[in-house]
Amino acid sequence: MTVVPLACMAALVSGFGRVTTAQQKVTTHTNPAQPQITFNRDIAPILYRSCARCHRPGEAGPFSLLTYADAKSRAHQIAVVTKSRFMPPWLPDEGDLKLADELRLSADEIARIQAWVDKGTAEGDPADLPAKPKFAEGWQLGKPDVIVKATKAYALPASGSDNYWNFVFRAPVDRTRWLKSIEIRPGDKWLVHHANVLVDRQQNGRRHEIDPGAGFGGMELTIESEAFDPDSHFLFWKPGSIPYVEPDGMALRLDKDTDLILNTHLQPSGKPETIQPTLGLYFTDKPATMHPVLLQLENDRMLDIPAGDKHFAVTDQFTLPVDVDVLAIYPHAHYLGKDLRATAKFPGGGSETLIHIPDWNLNWQAVYRYAQPVKLPKGTTISMNFVYDNSEKNVRNPNDPPQRVVAGNRAVDEMAHLWLQVLPQQSAQEKSDPRTPIVEAMARHNLQKNPDDFEAHYNLAALLMGRGEVPQAIAHFEQANRVRPNEPTVNNAFGAALLAAGRTEESVPHLTAALNARPDYFDARYNLGNALASLGDFRGALAQFQAAVRINPEDANAEANLGSAFAETGDLKQAKQHYERALGLNPNHELARENLQQLNQTLHDSPK
Amino acid sequence: MSEKFLTFRLFSGLLVATISLCVCSKPLLSRNHQRFATDLEGKPFDLSRAARGKIVVLIFVRTDCPISNRYAPTIQQLGAEHRNDATFFLVYPGKGETSDAIRKHDREFGYTFASLRDPQHVLVKQSEAQITPEAAVFDAGRRLVYHGRIDNLYEDFGHARKTATTHELADAIEAAIAGKPLSGNATPAVGCYISDLE
Repeated sequence: MTVVPLACMAALVSGFGRVTTAQQKVTTHTNPAQPQITFNRDIAPILYRSCARCHRPGEAGPFSLLTYADAKSRAHQIAVVTKSRFMPPWLPDEGDLKLADELRLSADEIARIQAWVDKGTAEGDPADLPAKPKFAEGWQLGKPDVIVKATKAYALPASGSDNYWNFVFRAPVDRTRWLKSIEIRPGDKWLVHHANVLVDRQQNGRRHEIDPGAGFGGMELTIESEAFDPDSHFLFWKPGSIPYVEPDGMALRLDKDTDLILNTHLQPSGKPETIQPTLGLYFTDKPATMHPVLLQLENDRMLDIPAGDKHFAVTDQFTLPVDVDVLAIYPHAHYLGKDLRATAKFPGGGSETLIHIPDWNLNWQAVYRYAQPVKLPKGTTISMNFVYDNSEKNVRNPNDPPQRVVAGNRAVDEMAHLWLQVLPQQSAQEKSDPRTPIVEAMARHNLQKNPDDFEAHYNLAALLMGRGEVPQAIAHFEQANRVRPNEPTVNNAFGAALLAAGRTEESVPHLTAALNARPDYFDARYNLGNALASLGDFRGALAQFQAAVRINPEDANAEANLGSAFAETGDLKQAKQHYERALGLNPNHELARENLQQLNQTLHDSPK
Repeated sequence: MSEKFLTFRLFSGLLVATISLCVCSKPLLSRNHQRFATDLEGKPFDLSRAARGKIVVLIFVRTDCPISNRYAPTIQQLGAEHRNDATFFLVYPGKGETSDAIRKHDREFGYTFASLRDPQHVLVKQSEAQITPEAAVFDAGRRLVYHGRIDNLYEDFGHARKTATTHELADAIEAAIAGKPLSGNATPAVGCYISDLE
């Protein structure tokens, strides 16, 4: 494994002052009778198709490549960067599986560019110039249904290395909507290398903000969710990309009180800049009927790369418990990642490369969608094979001199992740959620790799809980709680599971711990209120429901339970008020209605 | 290219300056009759007279070269660190770079050095510069003692280090101050090709 592929090295050497020599080689292969290569006839079509989407005013490319003058003033640079395939940025090797929107120049196109520069950058006959490409101005999909701007701008310093910033957007919806696309407008596009949107259903991310709306730093973030609702969409932006529109039936659910977190990778420009991104949301009235899963292979535990190691391999294998269609793939490593490969080995023999990136570059990471879904039968083993270079030869090595590197979220740490968006296939007779076998198999696989995998224990517990297997769920919540004793999410879910199992007294310390860590935790207040009520401590319950209602004044259940707590402590007037409020929030709230009727009866029977 | 005696026609139409005998192999800084770099007011810039007794550092840049722009804080800092011994000039070799655009650019990027326009590539040739950003160091006798990259932040397009680990320009300035010769060949810079601006 050489550090830089040989072709790339050759380009590097030829790039400086010796471009001409290298190009003459190319041109000697061309037919001498061939007419002169001109911008108008030969080069403009290449630039229009493969470069102009970013290299035009207002877009991510730092300069435009739309006119002869534009191209001429960058001619040698264009020759060098196309020859080395640094531009257009497209990391995967050409394989058997076709990817959507492949942005790769053909060998012929590259040779044409070299010859054009070599022969003096002729402009040619204006009649040969094709029509300028038409690009949609502004929002690429037309006016969004909702536009939301980051509350506060982020001040990007003039200098320094790559920078990571997260902006928290409150989902501007007052009811559940179905999202078919998000257009991410990062602001000054060329400062933003790429950006991801994460759906934060529990509004956990905003707790990292020092001031509300300020956003927070960090390269990677984990979003926890208490419901079985695996995040299943890649909401990814890279320069020059047109927002992806989900097909009918694949929309993403967006509820009220959900945050969207925009994770951006920024690069200083040389002067101070401010970034204040905007999101455009596009809704559909067609709810999700198909539920993809983001399948993750990873082996961060294997990541312990000795300083100077040029070829450190990390692998993971996962065998599919069901047939799936693979829709998209997203390999992810940091700066030491070198050669990233994913392979599918079929149960009947044979294999196929899902993706191969021979010269990984974090700056150009992307989600790759397949032109056609890739069908993988049950029993197929997906392998992740990543190779890392922690030597000083790797110029992207963040440590000088190289240091031992382990897994982590910071840019100087490493990652070995491979995400696949898969659509589990299910026969019409099966009633169960087709996602569960995959999520369960993934969690069990992860626990095999790491018995202390917090997320796997938690996910498995949540899934078992959803299936009604309460004792098994409790066992995994207990493990998750052992790994991270102070995690409020786990303490709450663990407490709720104990409550469901009738182990009320045991639930109280966990719910209390959740609230100690996070006093405004609505679910934990509500659960603790219920626990105390079933233990007969109505005064205690009353306090919890009062707090719950303060945190979320629009929850009918909390209002109804607060009503009951008042009723139990003898304050019938207050009880009535809260039952009525519960019914105001949800006119179909059975419990509130029945209790209110009963209460009215009591008040009627025993007037003061 | 190295001439022993030169008479200069100054902008006003008057003469005259002479330069002492040169025995060096590197070309002397010279300005012929018609071709010259200017400051932003359009006055011809005379490197042989600039910053007498000090080292002169020329940094070739472009307002629209992303890599040279990214270097702005580094360049500004290097100039500040060596201000007692070296005078820095930014040189814009692009014909289309107007004085106003350059002033605006310098302001935005926090440059405080004098900027020069070199549309006829007089300083480019004297400095043997090929790339923006590229540095040229002239000693107090106005001999070109270094030209090449500022540091090794970029190894190639798309191959950038987190921070530079070698600092060729700073080393060259130190050597020039100490009057020591530089060893080895300079590494070419990574950035935008000046030849594309011809």
